[in-house]
Amino acid sequence: MNSQRFDEETLTSSLKLLAGEMATLNAPPEIEQKLREAMRARAVVRPFPKRRVGYWVAAGIAAALLIAVSVVALRPRTDKPNQTTARQTDQPAVKEERSVEVPKILEPEPEQEPQKQIARNPVRPGKRRVPHSEVANHVTREIATDFMPLGYVNPTTFQDGGQVVRIELPRSALVNFGLPMNMERYHEKVKADVLIGSDGLAHAIRFVQ
Amino acid sequence: MSVNHLGAMNLQSEPGDSELLRSMLAGDEEALALLYRRRQGSVYRFALQMSGSKPMAEDVTQEVFLFLMREGHVFDPARGSLSAFLLGVARNHVLRRMRVDQFMTPIGNDDDDEAVFVATGTDLRPLDDLARAETIELVRRAVLSLPPKYREVVVLCELQDVSYGEAAEILGCAIGTVRSRLHRARALLLAKLRPAEQIDDESSASLKSARCFA
Repeated sequence: MNSQRFDEETLTSSLKLLAGEMATLNAPPEIEQKLREAMRARAVVRPFPKRRVGYWVAAGIAAALLIAVSVVALRPRTDKPNQTTARQTDQPAVKEERSVEVPKILEPEPEQEPQKQIARNPVRPGKRRVPHSEVANHVTREIATDFMPLGYVNPTTFQDGGQVVRIELPRSALVNFGLPMNMERYHEKVKADVLIGSDGLAHAIRFVQ
Repeated sequence: MSVNHLGAMNLQSEPGDSELLRSMLAGDEEALALLYRRRQGSVYRFALQMSGSKPMAEDVTQEVFLFLMREGHVFDPARGSLSAFLLGVARNHVLRRMRVDQFMTPIGNDDDDEAVFVATGTDLRPLDDLARAETIELVRRAVLSLPPKYREVVVLCELQDVSYGEAAEILGCAIGTVRSRLHRARALLLAKLRPAEQIDDESSASLKSARCFA
């Protein structure tokens, strides 16, 4: 056969020979046994449902992660409005009336949460409240003393909220409160925040630089 | 009349592939065994002729029937025979395995190939059919050296005796494509077999080199 030249006919007959040689080949009987065992165990049916369950579990985890990431990502955005509000307070106006949380005064007093402040600058529950003076100092670059009581302060006075009014006083007023005064600037005025209670009376004052 | 009756009897005694498949999917183990015995040969031979590897052919055969057990409901009798469906699945598995295996270097690959064909030729009488066995081996190697898209056409149409229409269905292409690929595959086979034959013929003579240089 090898001595002949391969032409179309020879190729066809050779292919038929090859097909004939392999026609009797069969898969080994062990495969049938394995398939029978697989059929009995039904192991072959499980992978697809498992894969689907795995897919949904993975999708659920991915969704949870996405939600967690978006919550973390949105948190700074919710803080921004507070900062802008604080910046807006940094106006050079001489007198400005603001509704703020009752600040810390010299005398200890129970926890009070004015409702006006909550309505204007809502703070999310569970979040740490930053003291007003701290925020003001940080954002407006102002230095302020603590509030000093003007006479007797009843803690219940501020249960209905209060207002802080920015005023200007003669610098000599510092001396009245026991604060040092630069005599070279005695003719200048000093800014102060007066805390006015719901009764309309001034109950505390702090000086601002 | 009696022939028709026998035919009807045969049809009754031998359930069709679709019926066996339905029973198998319902959990009938004997249906699986019947179906396997009926169709494993063509699947195994196709995988063997495509890959030239006996272990791969065995793996593919098993995987094809496991797939049938899992996903047998996707078979649509209106679109073709179960045999064509199984060969299509086998083709996908073989091609996938070949893609994976092309990045591996088997140890003693030539020996494995030889082992396959020693096994296939166990019935040969060594002296009388030596030339015949040599030709078969030459053709087998030539077929295995074809690119997969030509090899599968040769295996289906020439070695498995599948019709052009069925081959087109298995390969997912037009009948014209099958014809043209087969034509091209045969030309490639001839081109591969001719030089080998010429080398055998003219290894003792010095004429060949003179003709090549002419």
